[in-house]
Amino acid sequence: MSWSDRLGARGDAPKNRHIGPSEQDKSAQGAVAAVAEAFWKGRSSPSGPVDALLAAVVTALIGFGVVMVYSASAVEATVRYKDAQFFLKRQAIYAVLSIATMWITSRIDHRRLKVLTYPVLIVVTGMLVACVAGLGHKAGNAYRWIALGPVHVQPAEVAKLGIVLWLAYSLSKKADRIRSFSVGFLPHLLVVGILMLLCLKQPDFGSAVVLLFLTFTLLFVAGARVPYIAAFSMLLALAGAALVRFSGYRYARYLAWIDMDNNRADLAYQPFQSVMSFGSGGLFGLGLGRGLQVLYLPEAHTDFVSAIVGEELGFVGIVGLCAAYLVIVSRGVKIALEADDDYGSFMAFGIATLFGVQAMTNLAVAMAILPTKGLTLPFLSYGGSSLLVNAAAAGILLSISRSRTPVASQLRGAAGASPVPNAPSASAVVVASAEEGGAW
Amino acid sequence: MRNLDPRRARWIRIRMGLLCGLMALGLGGVVNGAYRIEVEDGDAWYDLAERQRQRRLHITPKRGTIYDRNGAPLAESVEVPSVSVDAVEMLRGVDEQYVPMRIQQYAERIAQALSLPAEDVVEKLSRRRRFAWLKRRVSEQEVERVRALGDRTQRYPVRGLVIEGEGRRFYPNRELAGPLLGFVATDGEGKEGIELSLEHELRGNASEVRGLRDRSGRLIFSEGIEDEQALAGHNVHLTIDKGIQFTAERELEAAMKTYEAIGGSIVVVNPENGEVLAMASSPGFNPNDYSQSDPGSRRNRCVVDRFEPGSTVKMFAIASALAAKSVAPSATIYCEEGNMAIDNVVIHDTHVHKWLTLPQILSQSSNIGTAKIALGLGEQRLYEGLRRFGFGDLTGVPLPGESVGVLRPRGRPWVQVETASAAFGQGISVTTLQLAMAAAAIANRGRLLEPILIKRITDGTGVTLSEPSPRVRRDAVPSSIARMVSEMLVAVTEGDGTGVEAAIPGFRVAGKTGTAQKIDPATGKYTDTHYVASFVGFVPAERPRLAIAVVLDEPLGGTYGGGSVAAPVFRRIGEMALRYLGVTPRGSVPMKLSEVAEQSGEDIAANTYQVLSEARAAAAPISTGVVTPSAPLKTGELRVPDLTGLPQREAVRSAATLGLDPSVEGTGRLTRQEPPPGTVLPKGSPLKLIFEPPT
Repeated sequence: MSWSDRLGARGDAPKNRHIGPSEQDKSAQGAVAAVAEAFWKGRSSPSGPVDALLAAVVTALIGFGVVMVYSASAVEATVRYKDAQFFLKRQAIYAVLSIATMWITSRIDHRRLKVLTYPVLIVVTGMLVACVAGLGHKAGNAYRWIALGPVHVQPAEVAKLGIVLWLAYSLSKKADRIRSFSVGFLPHLLVVGILMLLCLKQPDFGSAVVLLFLTFTLLFVAGARVPYIAAFSMLLALAGAALVRFSGYRYARYLAWIDMDNNRADLAYQPFQSVMSFGSGGLFGLGLGRGLQVLYLPEAHTDFVSAIVGEELGFVGIVGLCAAYLVIVSRGVKIALEADDDYGSFMAFGIATLFGVQAMTNLAVAMAILPTKGLTLPFLSYGGSSLLVNAAAAGILLSISRSRTPVASQLRGAAGASPVPNAPSASAVVVASAEEGGAW
Repeated sequence: MRNLDPRRARWIRIRMGLLCGLMALGLGGVVNGAYRIEVEDGDAWYDLAERQRQRRLHITPKRGTIYDRNGAPLAESVEVPSVSVDAVEMLRGVDEQYVPMRIQQYAERIAQALSLPAEDVVEKLSRRRRFAWLKRRVSEQEVERVRALGDRTQRYPVRGLVIEGEGRRFYPNRELAGPLLGFVATDGEGKEGIELSLEHELRGNASEVRGLRDRSGRLIFSEGIEDEQALAGHNVHLTIDKGIQFTAERELEAAMKTYEAIGGSIVVVNPENGEVLAMASSPGFNPNDYSQSDPGSRRNRCVVDRFEPGSTVKMFAIASALAAKSVAPSATIYCEEGNMAIDNVVIHDTHVHKWLTLPQILSQSSNIGTAKIALGLGEQRLYEGLRRFGFGDLTGVPLPGESVGVLRPRGRPWVQVETASAAFGQGISVTTLQLAMAAAAIANRGRLLEPILIKRITDGTGVTLSEPSPRVRRDAVPSSIARMVSEMLVAVTEGDGTGVEAAIPGFRVAGKTGTAQKIDPATGKYTDTHYVASFVGFVPAERPRLAIAVVLDEPLGGTYGGGSVAAPVFRRIGEMALRYLGVTPRGSVPMKLSEVAEQSGEDIAANTYQVLSEARAAAAPISTGVVTPSAPLKTGELRVPDLTGLPQREAVRSAATLGLDPSVEGTGRLTRQEPPPGTVLPKGSPLKLIFEPPT
């Protein structure tokens, strides 16, 4: 923990939280109390309305996710648990919880979250360490879960949001010093580097890549010097390539993905079955619940739920799904552009990127455009951690959307945003949730 | 971003815009990928997925059962467990460097459990396929041991072992009707006989179960328990009567042994509707171990083999001549005292005759008399007459490899001597089934019927899908001519006729013997040592219920004539079958079988009784001991057996096997039956079984 605090100190932490390493143990309780106090005493809630379209699309996606999880998991649940609704019941509970989470976070002024930055980062790091240290819960080949009572938490999912929170906080604080290498660039890279290493150790290559991508994105947006980013990107790309090349199972998987036809029975079984699911869908799909590939596709309800969407709803369904993510990301970017402060703007853009990158990567993996990564499809895949974290992230987006200034006067054409923040959109989805939007 | 310098805020927005552009490109890539996979290549992927589901159907649905006409199973499929392995699942999570070691360990344990060579198992596991058979058709103990290996509560479970049921064909009556039924190969495909010709019906439609099996080949039903019966193959009910078939085979076997014949065939049909009641071919085989049998013995000689029929054809030649009015029914023919030259060939009679009437020509089997009638009829009309009786044509029986037989072996009309010899069955060839059907045509007032072998086809749930009805192929001869010929044929089995051995006490038998010389394949000439002996006839002559053709190939040892070799077989089968069908002897009151035995004082009747009870025992194994020889029953009727004292399961089973519809009351042992034992009921009648617990 101590190193984390020291890093925070270097990053211009508030004076009252500057705790020396020697005093750390004694004052841990005091620090928690201070955080809680700071959190609740934060600024008053912003008065603006939330982005109703965003809220509606996210809610709709979560609901759709419950349906798809049922369709994709019924067979496996019957075989393994003798209960076709095993995964459905759980996902429905998570869905309700996550919508509640989204509602609660959207009511909190996002600026209050600043005080949660370090606690979240520390807890996440601690959980990742615990995972790697072997306290984790093993599933398949990887220690990606940690058991908290009856719930299995996937720390990597939380880490993604944690890094966005921390980067937004740190970058907005450093302002113009972001352009310097030692203050603006290196510390961020070190923190994310540690998280990435912990992820890689699990092993969870996909999450590590996402963390890195988010960091570079936000560094770039905040104004870090492009040559640094470019140089480090190349360096890390080489390191990544080396990692893949010299890690036996990853290289074997990579080769199998390259030569899928000859490995369809073993190493490339999953991507091959996934593409087959997509392909059998055709233009309009086989119909909801009529997919037959669930019998062959492992993990159909988690990482490969998009393949089942492709099979059951066809190309039309996938385009619809892409459109939903497009709405979420573009609303997120719009919120980022219109946000009142740079902290909110960075956070909004980071979250929008998180959604966009995960969704695209997941779809690309399911179509075997990219090798298998183990990334979930936001809001759709089965899994409590992923759903709750993504819902919390969406809630933060909604919260930021309440404190925005129309951007049109400041920047013409950059985003094509509507000058009226709560202008109702013509999308069909909104109609149902327009009243709901009022409650947000 | 009001807290920022507008210029910096502007730059931040521009950079965000750039990244958004990148993400838009990514989205474009994803949608493009989806379009390519789903819309452009969609059909190809769908076919591939479909093939995968098809390929994964290791087990075809349960093959339909073949029943005899009374519902006794002749061939049924039982599920036998087989063990397969998903090697990928088995080795999942094993570090690559330990894989060979693990394979070795697992293979040794599996090999021990299934009694297989360990090297073979190692090889199968090393291929690391998602599916491979380890051992098919395993025993109960082996299943138990494999279960124990895969038991997750044990310390080192072996993952990826799959036990699944696989259909195995079982022929409960062993050799009975073997060549008729055929057999099913290991891959589940019917190979001969009914199994082959009705393959499509019996197999069930595999495509109907697509998608119902998961990646390890397990049967998965998405909505609870579905009726697997609906997926099963159709059941085939034959017209074959197990009892008559049993007798026919038994008698054929006995004759084969006695006369050291190389082959034999018997067809029993019901002349009224063309239903084939028995079809025996010898040597036969046991379809349960078809691989141990000689391929020649799997042939159904009744339809596949053609032979020169000899004198049995005379009845058809004479019937044709009578129908064409080229000879008068009352005509007497001069038989040239045993020798007649046609062109440069001399034909002979076995006995020297001068003047013979038509019945005498038949009963003495005069070649010369028949030849003269044939020459009077003329080549064309004789040929057409034989064709009208179905010779040289497929009978249409649904069996594989049916021969048509040959009437004009040289492909041109007969010359005079050929016409003459064709009339007594030399120089032409026929099948046993054709002979039986042609005789049935005379029995059935001249109407040639199509043989019916399939009584009914039902689906797995018992719904009748098809039920062939009798089909008249043509009127071979007018009804009056047929009746006339029938009467003439009775003379064959009476007095000094050649077929007296075929006479059945109490019945008038119409029939004709045949003793044909075979052609020696070495010289291409007729030999004096190799014969085909046959007897074709029907009984009772005035209202025929059975038409039977008996053919024995190359009987040895002094007796080779149809009258002495084939006729007794005809008699024994006819005697038993008439009894079995409940046909009463003419002018007699119904009498008990035991009395028949007493009266006749011969062991034939005793024989028949024995055969009958054996056949009955075979048809209803449970009810042995409760069947008592009693008054003959009409077809479709049965006598309620005394089942008192039997436990519930057995009582219900025996009642159901007999063709009654049992209903149950109470528990324990059977104390009362309604209607009481001994009552004669039509088949399918309800039978109330009342049970009481033992006191």
